[in-house]
Formats: sequence, structure tokens, C-alpha cells
Amino acid sequence: MRLHQMVAKDIVRRKKRVLYAMLGVVVGTMTVISILTVSLAGEAKIYAQLEEYGANLVVLPAISQFDLELGGLELGAVTVGENYIPEYKVSEVRQITDDMVNHALGIQDERNRYAAPVAPRLYASATVKGASVQVVGIDAVEERKIKTWWRVHEGKYIDESDEALAGAWVAELLGLSSGEVLDLNGVGITVVGILKETGSDDDYRMFVPLGTAQEAFGKEGMVSSVDVRALCTACPVEDIADEVNMMVSGVRAVAVKQIAMTEMTMMERVNRFMLALAGITLAVGLFGVVNTMMTSVHERIRDIGIMRAVGASRNQIVKAFIYEAIVVGVVGGILGYVVGTLLAFVIGPVIFEGISVTYVPQYLALSLVLAIVVAVVATLYPAFRATRVRVADSFRSL
Amino acid sequence: MLEVKCVSKFYGEGTTRVVALDDVSLRVDDGDFIAVMGPSGSGKSTLLNIIGGLDQPSRGEVILDGRRIDDLDENALVDIRRGDIAYVFQQYHLLPSLTAIENVLLPLLFRGGDTRPKKAMDMLRRVGLEKRADHKPGQLSGGEQQRVAIARALVGDPSLILADEPTGNMDQKTGTEILELFTRLNRDGHSIIMVTHNPEIAGQAGQTIVLKDGRVESTS
Repeated sequence: MRLHQMVAKDIVRRKKRVLYAMLGVVVGTMTVISILTVSLAGEAKIYAQLEEYGANLVVLPAISQFDLELGGLELGAVTVGENYIPEYKVSEVRQITDDMVNHALGIQDERNRYAAPVAPRLYASATVKGASVQVVGIDAVEERKIKTWWRVHEGKYIDESDEALAGAWVAELLGLSSGEVLDLNGVGITVVGILKETGSDDDYRMFVPLGTAQEAFGKEGMVSSVDVRALCTACPVEDIADEVNMMVSGVRAVAVKQIAMTEMTMMERVNRFMLALAGITLAVGLFGVVNTMMTSVHERIRDIGIMRAVGASRNQIVKAFIYEAIVVGVVGGILGYVVGTLLAFVIGPVIFEGISVTYVPQYLALSLVLAIVVAVVATLYPAFRATRVRVADSFRSL
Repeated sequence: MLEVKCVSKFYGEGTTRVVALDDVSLRVDDGDFIAVMGPSGSGKSTLLNIIGGLDQPSRGEVILDGRRIDDLDENALVDIRRGDIAYVFQQYHLLPSLTAIENVLLPLLFRGGDTRPKKAMDMLRRVGLEKRADHKPGQLSGGEQQRVAIARALVGDPSLILADEPTGNMDQKTGTEILELFTRLNRDGHSIIMVTHNPEIAGQAGQTIVLKDGRVESTS
């Protein structure tokens, strides 16, 4: 028999007491876990919403007559002036954005660097099947990262240089279907996909790879605009815009003000408030555990006296109580995680409409650590005090 | 082996001060069997607790094998409880969640050495309780519990056994059996100091000390 076995036997005999002590731990961890789970789900929802907003930084040629974000583009209208941005400046913009975003996120490790999508575009007007169509040259990969809401309705997304993607209305008006071969200012392209209706100007556009557009319209090395998506609460979009304006000549960077950002800040506040609440609950739980442990120790003054009379040192007594606290912590932590997660499923939809709560396995570890720390801390003081009682007194108190 | 020199013990202070022991001296040699008698409140248990290091005297000295133990710190007292001195209490003081044999193993467990059940089983056999090894205290009679407590005291092979009214909670017959057990242990070489109310039991002891109001009234 070893000390922990003795403790285990004692726990079995005093089940109810131990469960009672556990309850305090469970209530504390449960609250923390449910709040964290709910706010994580809420955050996920807000991030999902943010995706719908697309770019939050637009880089245009320094002299340009039109305002992109306002849209209002008529089908077939030529809206791009003769001013372009040299393509090499795209990488300068990318460099500045990445540096500032990673700095803001506190990422120093090169391998973990966050890369904000930077999508250059070239706008041109062309006549396709007898109608005037706005053709947009895009960096297919980067564009996709920004237009996360794009869904290819028919066919596939573009990746080869001779492929084209048609907006829903363009396809409808011109009677395009995937597989159709078109002539774009003398360059042969194949429509490989048709986008689902987006409700934006994209429905009236045709998309081809940037290089293809540059070739067809004789704009080699030129782009009309660059969309950047630097989306995070900490991302200093306005600072990035200022920096781009200062460092890169011939361009005008505009930060797009977003409701999403406000929402994100709101979310942060709510999170902080809830965490504070969780902390208070945990503290109250700690108090409850200290209380039950005090009682539990007091009830066992005689047992402690016996153990010491037959040769237990103070350390061994404290150790026995810590073992018990670890059991309380482990079981309480698991229960706290399970109940907290279930609670999150119940209260999550009440706090944030339409969120989907998922359980977070990593929080089990967090829950265990919290519960064990609370249980051990709550036990240390009463256990320490118990060993200060003189052995003779521990028998007399009965 | 053990000497108690002019030991006094007070509880409380000022006008509420109670004198539990007043200038008590005694001497225990190897193989002695000493009975301590006296009315309730005469300081018998206090004396035993002080000898065993469960309590500390307000004044005086306790010397065990040439070494003062009355002013030792807790850690040093632990060593004494683990080695030279063992206790048997009137209330048995067994841990209720452990079986008989586990209770007997307890001193070995705290000592950190060999905790295989063999030695504990030997001790239970010595007190005639090997068949009850897996019973919990609640399932044992008073006499049986006291035998377990005696086995627990013996497992550490102490030179001195302190017994505080070990038969106080028993009927005549059981009490006699327990007493016989003690006389046998005494013959085996254990020194014993036993607190008792019973003059017959005291008659079995080699030496009797009678306490009254914390003072030694007579020695025989």
C-alpha cells in the first residue's frame, strides 16, 4: 500500500464530501469553459461575416476619376482611365501590408507569417459576341482569397492562362456556357466556369488571368487597382494605407471603413466582460472549495492525529491532501468541461443569433489545469493548518 | 532508557491556569512494565502524551536513551514516533477507511520502506487476528480493534509501548485478554507504560505509579 492508495480508499469512503468539494470546482470551470466556447463561436461567426466584406484596402492609381467602392458601373461602360499602376508596385504594397499586419499580430517567426491577400486587377472593355463587356484581369489565387463568397455555378474556377470565368448576367445576356471559345482582342480564350449570381458588379464582368488581359489589351506590366484584405482586429488598415501612400509613389491607397471592424471591437468587449465574469465565478468557486476543504480537514483532525501518531510527517499529511485535491481537480475539470460545453450549446444561440457552437477539445486541457490549480490552492491552506495542530490536541477535540 | 525529570504541564494562563502535571518524575528501564493509575483528570494521559512527544511539557525534561526529546521540533519527533515509541489508545484510533491489515501497514507506509503485507500479517498473527485481516474497523469488535491497534504499534518494533487505558472500553473478559497480550509483549522485551483505572491490571505490572491532581502520590 502506498500513500495515494490510502488517499483513494479514503475518498471512496467519503464520496459525498469529495463530490461536494468537486461541485465548487465544477461550477468555476464550467463557467469559464462555456464562456470561452461561446465567444469562440461568436468570433467565428463574425469572422465569417467579415469574409463577406471583401477587401478593406484599395490601392488605385494616383490620378483616377472613378470610385471603385461605390460601384455603379454600367454594363459595358469603360470606367478605367489611362492611368495604371506598374505591376512591380504590387509587391511593394504586399511587403508593406505583410510587415505591418505581422507586426500588429506580434508574429516574429518567419514560418508563421500571416500573408494578407493582395489581389491586383486590370480593367478593360472588350467586345464579345457583339456586345461590350467589362473584362477584368485577375490574379486567380489571390482574387479567390478575397472573393470568398464566389461560387462557381457551372464548370470550374480558372487557373490556366487561356481560361475565362463569366459573371452570371454576362453569361445570361450573351448566352455563354462553359466550354465556349471566345476571341478577346485576338487572344483565344475558353469559358471554363460561370459564377453564381453575387448581386454585385461582378455579375456583369468577365474574368481572365491577369497576364492574358495584359496581353490582349496591350497593358503589359500594368494593373488598374489592387485590393488588399488585412482583416483582423489588430490590423491597422488606416496606418497601412498611410504607409503605402508614403512609400509607394504614383498610387493612392484608401482604407475602407467597415461595420465589421466595429462589430469586431464590440465582440472583443463582450469577450472581455464575459471573461471577467468567468474569473469572478472561478474565484467564488475557489472560495467554496476552500470552505469545503476546511470542513473536510476539520472532520479529519482525528484521522490526521492518528496518522501522525503512527509516524506520518507534516509533509506526508499535506501530500495526502494534495493527492485528494488532484483527484477533485481532475474529475471536477472533466465534469466542468463537459457541463460547460453543454451549457455553451444552450446559451450560445441566445447570446449570438444564429451561431453554431462547437466543442473545443483544447479547452479540456485548460479546464483540467484550472480545476487542479483551484483544488490544490484551496487545499494547501487548510492542510497546512491541520499539520500545525498538536497530535494530543487532535484527539482531545473529540 | 527513559527518564522523566520534574515535568510540569499547565493549560491556559493567569487565573484560568490549570495544572495538569506538577513536578512529576519517573524512570523506565528496559523491560519495565509500569502502570499509571489515578482518578480522572489526574494527568495520566497528559503524562503519556508528553513521554511520547504528542504533547510538550511546560517545564521539565524527558530523556530517551540519553537524548532530550521534550524540546525537539516536529521533524525530530516524527523520527521518534517512527522508531522507538509506539502508542495504543483507549479509542483504538484506527483509520475507518482501511482494513485491519492496512491499518497495521500504516506505520511502515509513512516510514517509506517495505510495505509488503507480510510483516503486517505476522503482527496480526501475533495478536491472534490473522483471520480478520481484511475487515474494516467498523466490522470488528472493540477487543479486535484494540488487537489491530496493538499489531500496528508492534509493526515498527518499538522499544517502548505507551498504552492509554487500552482496556477502558472493554468488558472484563476482553480486557483480561488484552492485558495478557500486553504481559506477553513485555516478556518479549517491550517496555510498557500503561495508563489504567483497574487495580487488578495494575497488579500485573511490575511497578505502579499513582497520580493525583498532577502529582505523584505513590510509587510501588
